[in-house]
Amino acid sequence: MEAIVLQSNDWAFILANWEQFALGTAVTILLTITSLVVGFVAGFPAGAIEVYAPGWLRKPVSAAGVILRGTPIVVLIVLFFFALPIPQLGTFIIIDAKVDAFIVATIALGLRSAAYQAQVFRGAIQSIDEGQMEAARSVGLSKFQAIRHVIFPQAIRRSVPGFQNEFTIVLKDTSIAFAIGLAELLTRAEQLYLQPGHDTAVVEVIVTISVIYFVLTFATNRALDRLEQRYAVPEGSG
Amino acid sequence: MTLLDVDSIYKSYDEEEVLEDVSFGLDQQDVEVIVGPSGSGKSTLLRCMNRLTEIDSGEIYLNDDEIHDLDENELRRRVGMVFQGSNLFAHLTAQKNITLGLREVLGMPAAEAQAKAMEYLRQVGLEDQAESYPAELSGGQKQRVGIARALAMEPELILFDEPTSALDPELIGEVLTVMRDLAEEGMTMLVVTHEMDFARSVATRLMFLDDGRIVERGPPEQLFEDPREDRTEQFLGELADIY
Repeated sequence: MEAIVLQSNDWAFILANWEQFALGTAVTILLTITSLVVGFVAGFPAGAIEVYAPGWLRKPVSAAGVILRGTPIVVLIVLFFFALPIPQLGTFIIIDAKVDAFIVATIALGLRSAAYQAQVFRGAIQSIDEGQMEAARSVGLSKFQAIRHVIFPQAIRRSVPGFQNEFTIVLKDTSIAFAIGLAELLTRAEQLYLQPGHDTAVVEVIVTISVIYFVLTFATNRALDRLEQRYAVPEGSG
Repeated sequence: MTLLDVDSIYKSYDEEEVLEDVSFGLDQQDVEVIVGPSGSGKSTLLRCMNRLTEIDSGEIYLNDDEIHDLDENELRRRVGMVFQGSNLFAHLTAQKNITLGLREVLGMPAAEAQAKAMEYLRQVGLEDQAESYPAELSGGQKQRVGIARALAMEPELILFDEPTSALDPELIGEVLTVMRDLAEEGMTMLVVTHEMDFARSVATRLMFLDDGRIVERGPPEQLFEDPREDRTEQFLGELADIY
């Protein structure tokens, strides 16, 4: 098993190809951001709909969530890749990644994340004491005003730990775009060790991208912790 | 001047009658204290006055407007409410708890709303807590902010739903003092409470509610000293033993 022995010339190979890791990391970060944005834009209203909307709207949204959460992400991404009518759109400049694969990955990761973010937000809304709504209505705020000014600001704060979790999951799951050949970190890593004569570098390459994934998740979680502390409000019973 | 006229209201939940043929009236500046055993319909009665609970039948007039003809937000602006567990907006400072309604319901400019909030915080003795969040306030302070929040909307009537029941004994006094001051200034109040000293010294009338019906109603001294109904005597006697 020569391949798993960490060889110095394999590390040299990695250093020589640092650009591939940098580009892969860039694609990974971009895909994480676009997926989380889709996840938030779709998941936030979906969570609110699950709490407040009438049945004709709530039921289909809720069912879509159940399906998205119940399907493996690899299956989703492959399904969307072959089922969605997205034309070949060439490649992004600089990061050199296929546009259509990037869009498919964003939709799959984004919708799946939306399904989970909706649950995070729904739970946060439902955790707000009923008295908050009653007090808001008692002052004369409409239901909509009460939701907007009293319920949502508190629910969003309570959602932060869940969103943080979701961020880490989406970032790591961008590696699943490997299945449709999007040139993110894992795909580029594979392309490196599949080069003739470099099969001994598998472990080094994978360890390298693992470290990159870890640094990314760790750093962003720390940053989000800071953000949470900064906007924290003294908690306790209102 | 009749301010509130409640005419034969009924309310039931799942066939269980909670309020049965309840009628009474409040004049301007009246302070009416409602007492009754738990489950007697006190809270429900109060909540029907600002339509947090909708009655099944009957009529309620607030200064000659039938409240079910009014927009419910308009009604609630005109009828303030103070809750047992203050229900202050947990993410807002004391001052912002008060300005939210002023800004969003009355459309008051920010500076004016802030000044007004300070004025009412001063009235309840909490101007130095304007920037505190609810979690940083004591139970009594929270209730006083809750009162200031209701007052700031300049309501015609304020409903108090057991405002001191959830408080530690040493915090009850400060809340009752604020309520007593309000009564003296002529605020019309409908108060569910078991604080019989407050009822005796502040209330214009005492209402004893049992099984969703008004058993007896009159000046507090009459109900305490010379109740017409045995049930009233028995219940007030029990309250006196406890409090």
